[in-house]
This record gives sequence, C-alpha cells and structure tokens, in this order.
Amino acid sequence: MGDYRDMWKNLGMDLEKHDVLCEALPQAFGDIYLSQENRPDAMNYFNYALAEVHGARIQEIQEEKNNGKKVIGTFCVFVPDEVILAAGAVGVGLCSGSQFWIADGEKVLPRNLCPLVKAFVGAKVSRTCPYFQSCDMIVGETTCDGKKKAYEIMEEYVPVHIMELPQMKREKNYEEWQDEIKLFIKKMEELTGNKITVERLRETIDLCNRKRRALKRLYDLRKNIPSPISGLDALLVSQIAFMDDIERFIEKTNELCDELEDRVKTPNANGMKRIMITGTPMAVPNWKLHSIIEGLGAEVVVEETCTGTRYFENEVSSEGDTIDDLVRNLADRYMNINCACFTPNRGRIDDILRYAEEYDVDGVIYYNLSFCHTYAIEYGKVEKALKEKNIPLLNIETDYSEEDAGQIKTRVEAFLEMI
Amino acid sequence: MEKNYILFPNYSQGLKLESLLKANKIKYVISPTPRKLSSCCGISIMYNKEDEESIKALIEENSIEIKGLYKLE
Repeated sequence: MGDYRDMWKNLGMDLEKHDVLCEALPQAFGDIYLSQENRPDAMNYFNYALAEVHGARIQEIQEEKNNGKKVIGTFCVFVPDEVILAAGAVGVGLCSGSQFWIADGEKVLPRNLCPLVKAFVGAKVSRTCPYFQSCDMIVGETTCDGKKKAYEIMEEYVPVHIMELPQMKREKNYEEWQDEIKLFIKKMEELTGNKITVERLRETIDLCNRKRRALKRLYDLRKNIPSPISGLDALLVSQIAFMDDIERFIEKTNELCDELEDRVKTPNANGMKRIMITGTPMAVPNWKLHSIIEGLGAEVVVEETCTGTRYFENEVSSEGDTIDDLVRNLADRYMNINCACFTPNRGRIDDILRYAEEYDVDGVIYYNLSFCHTYAIEYGKVEKALKEKNIPLLNIETDYSEEDAGQIKTRVEAFLEMI
Repeated sequence: MEKNYILFPNYSQGLKLESLLKANKIKYVISPTPRKLSSCCGISIMYNKEDEESIKALIEENSIEIKGLYKLE
C-alpha cells in the first residue's frame, strides 16, 4: 500500500471521484478472486499488479517519463507494440472495463454505444484513469465506428494518432497496413526524437514474441483436463499484460506456468464443464461473465477474444535486413488477427472450431458487449458453424452493469445443465 | 471468518517481506488493502494466524517497515 494522492494530484486527476473507484476495488477483488480455492501461489504477483494498478505501476511510468521516455496509450490489439518499444517509449493499454466510467462517457457520447467505448471516453473526461493522464499520445485505430468517432472527442484532451485499419484482407489491404505502420514509425520517431533502426525493431519484435509465447504457454496449459488454473485467474493475467512492464510480465507469467506444469503432473479430475468464451474484449476490471460461469461450477478454459487468444496468437517473423522487410512481417502478423471488423471474417470461425477441439470444450458462450454490431451480426455465422459440429452455444449480450447478472446466471445455469 | 493483514507504508516494503515469506515457505496472499483498514490504495499481505509469531520475527530481524498487523472479522 502507499499514499499516491500527491502523484495523482500532479497528474491532474479528480481525486474525490477516483476515490470512489479505489473504494470499490478491494471488496470486488476479494469477493471474486481471493475467495477462489486452491489458487496457484504465483498468482500473488498478479494480485500485486492489480492492487497496484493505479499505484506502483503508475509510479514506475512516471519515473520513466522523468527519464525522458514518452508514454503511449493504446486501445486495440492491432496497434503494434513493437514500434512503440523500438522508439524507446512505454506502451499502456487504457482503462475501459468498469461501469464506473459509463455515466461520464454518456455525457459526451450517445447512450446506445458499446460500454467499452463509453467507459474509455468516460475515464478520460472524468480524469480518473492515471494511465490516460500519463499519456503523451494516444494511438487510435478504425476498428469500429464508435471508437473511430470517439477519438475525435479524445483529441480535445490529448494528442491522438489514428491508424487506418483496412477492413478486408486482400493483398492491397496488407500493403495499406504496411503503409500505416510506416506512418506510425515516422510519428513515433518525431515524438520521441529516437530513430527506429532495423536492429532496434528486430529486438522489440523478439521481445513481443517472447510475451506472446508466455501467454501461449499459459493457454496451452489450460488445455489439460482439468485446467490447472481458473478462467478468472487466466483472464487477470491477460488483463495485466496490457499494463505491465513487459520483461517482468514475461518472467512472472513463466513462473506461473512452471507452477502449473507441476500441477498437471498429478491431475485431479473435477468433472467440471469446460467452456470457451468467444466475442468482445474484457478490459480490467470486467470479470462479470467469468465469475458467473465459474460461480456455477464450470471452468472457462479459453477466450477467443482480444483479451485472449487474439492478443498472442501468431508471432512476427524477425527475418529480413531492412525496415521494409520487418514492416511487412509486422503487417502479416497483425492482419492475421480475426476481428469482426473485417469482411469476410471466416478465419474467426476456423479459430473457434479449432479451439473447441484443442481445448476439448463442452460448450461455447458468445460474449457480446451491447451495441457492438460487428460481433452481434457475426453471431449467426458462428452459430451455424457450431451447430454443424454439434457444439452447444449460448449467446449473452450484456454491458458492465450488474442489473442483468441474475438473469445471466439463470441462463448460464440452464445451459450448463443442458450440455 | 477472521482474516489477518499486514499493512505497509509503501509497496516495496511489502515486496521485501513477500520474498522473505516465500524463502521461509510461509503461506501468504497479496491482497488490495481493505478499505476498512486504510483509505490508501495498494497492497497488503494476508497471512494465517498460526504463522504470526514467525512473521513478526522476520519483520524484526530484517527491519521491514510496516504500518501494523490488523485483523478483520
């Protein structure tokens, strides 16, 4: 613990309002996380990271800033961390997972918008997210109309650079994304005054690949029956990945995996139903669906989401001698993310079917944040594909409020009984 | 159920004690500090009552700065 009020004040935060958020967290985390039985000891690091998410981690970021580093906020897994790191900057994922920020978001945005977008705008305009307050620049993208237009509001508060993400996957779109990455490199060089060299970019490609490998190792361990780690704990690891120091995160995630490897040597069958979640992201502290599912005695073994497999699947090749070569490698990897913003997006269905088999799931829950149209429309195709394979599917559309928690619980309970 | 917490003036003292607990194979859980104990954010350490004396000794021997040991019913 510690007293961070001076730091938050210097960041221009609304202390009184932020305190409401601080007040809710220990209880919520205690009820949802610390009440779980038989947690891996190595989760203590992630408890620490969560407890200090607005404290020690922000202090570290301030120290980096004092040493002349720039802080770059991102909001989407398409923004290449490799470029941010190669320019000697710090990348942070931005706050967007709490109901707390919705009311302030709705002051400047229409209400019928996805909670993720409302929350991230609310976090900025209410000055209650210390990550936002630390940012020298925010990097946006054009994955959905809500975010695309929200960045125009964001621009009134903080410098924004937008990357135009193509929405199809033809050869020319891969080239367009290479051009966008080159523009981003130029922007980062201007902002930081650091040249992004081939050597430096190759190093950060390797670093980000090591992070992906650590997460992949964690997910591969969840393929064991039973999984050696709860879905809630795995989700927390993924969420922390967006904020933490990258080298330390890799080290701590690998320590966790070492412990889990010991666990799977002596499996204790628990007969729990194995669930895949597919759909929209779950930013910290959004633990709503996992806590309902696992509270009913099932286990979430994989998330096909941006805070799950889409974040770490596929590595970037570090082959090549020029910036152009490396940019092509980056574009090839990032354009391979199967986000519902693309048309068509058959790759996502292939992923879901493959994961269903690899993780040996008993059922799939489609998680759709309210008003996220691209994912909501894509449900039909996923439903058809899973039906053909006789894989049970439940569709949950929800936001961050707790109002519908009882209803969701009833529906998930019925689903678990059926499968 | 009774829960026992150690609070610290800053997180680095908490992490220092954590590594000692780990090395001495004493069970603990890092937890966000309950609001009932302090309005400051950040970590505290939960421990089992039966380990209290050995933890106190570790704190003493290694000059760990703490804000105190607390109990919540």
